[in-house]
Amino acid sequence: MKMTHIKVINTLWIVLILLTLFSTYMAEQSSPGLSSIIIMALVLAIKGRIIVDYFMELKHANVVLRRLMQLYFYVIPALIILVYLFPDKIAKWTAL
Amino acid sequence: MEELTFSASDSNKKNTNIPGSLAIWAAILAEMSEFAIMFIVYFIAKVHNPEIFAQGPLRLSTMAGASNTLIMLTSSFFVVRGVIAMRANKPDMCTRWLWGAVISGGLYLIIKYFEYQWNTTQGLNTETNIFYAVYYYVTFNHFLHVGWGSAAIIWVIFRINTGVYTHKEHEGLLNIAVYWHMIDLAWITIFPLLYVIH
Repeated sequence: MKMTHIKVINTLWIVLILLTLFSTYMAEQSSPGLSSIIIMALVLAIKGRIIVDYFMELKHANVVLRRLMQLYFYVIPALIILVYLFPDKIAKWTAL
Repeated sequence: MEELTFSASDSNKKNTNIPGSLAIWAAILAEMSEFAIMFIVYFIAKVHNPEIFAQGPLRLSTMAGASNTLIMLTSSFFVVRGVIAMRANKPDMCTRWLWGAVISGGLYLIIKYFEYQWNTTQGLNTETNIFYAVYYYVTFNHFLHVGWGSAAIIWVIFRINTGVYTHKEHEGLLNIAVYWHMIDLAWITIFPLLYVIH
């Protein structure tokens, strides 16, 4: 049981490293476009979720706390995509 | 709504567990909100200054940002392994993992220092334009978190070595563990926003 937990943590660490390398490499190679923005947002969502659920150990913890922390990694990735798609509209809404 | 009802009617089950103390989670939620405000400022500044924000990341060192991302993720991994070792009643193993996290924190600070130096030689500073103002405000704030977070881990190592924390009672270790992961979460968000997306 304990070995399994350590194995899970080790694997997730490697996944986090690979996701970082992949998204950075991809963003550097390709010209900025919707597909690379979506991949970047998705990678952030996945990395955030792994840390919240497994590193912070919230997966089986208090449900309000868990949902609050998970929400963060829905909202920020969504904002990344929305800001890319509708910069002018958002600029208009946020003008003083 | 459903979630709230569920948690209220289920309050004696294990899903009401909190890793660490309620106090540290109050601090974490406050800090996550503070970072959220910075990210919203970034998004608003970006849509109002698309040209500046498209050029800004190109003059930053992606290598420095990416290296620090790998270092932060690895330091978080070390902290998790430290907690697992403590639960298995291996305090020596636990402190070894924690020293790994402290060294990672130190490495992060050194890389950030050289990154700031490199920026300065390129003529970049807080007054260059709004992108770099946001960049310095957010990253220096994060830099401070890594600094005091590392110091707090050293304090916990000291407490473990003096036998204050044991495998049965080590809430202080859990507190710094979740706090350190929060610092990690902030960085994995900062990295794409400021270094990669343009």
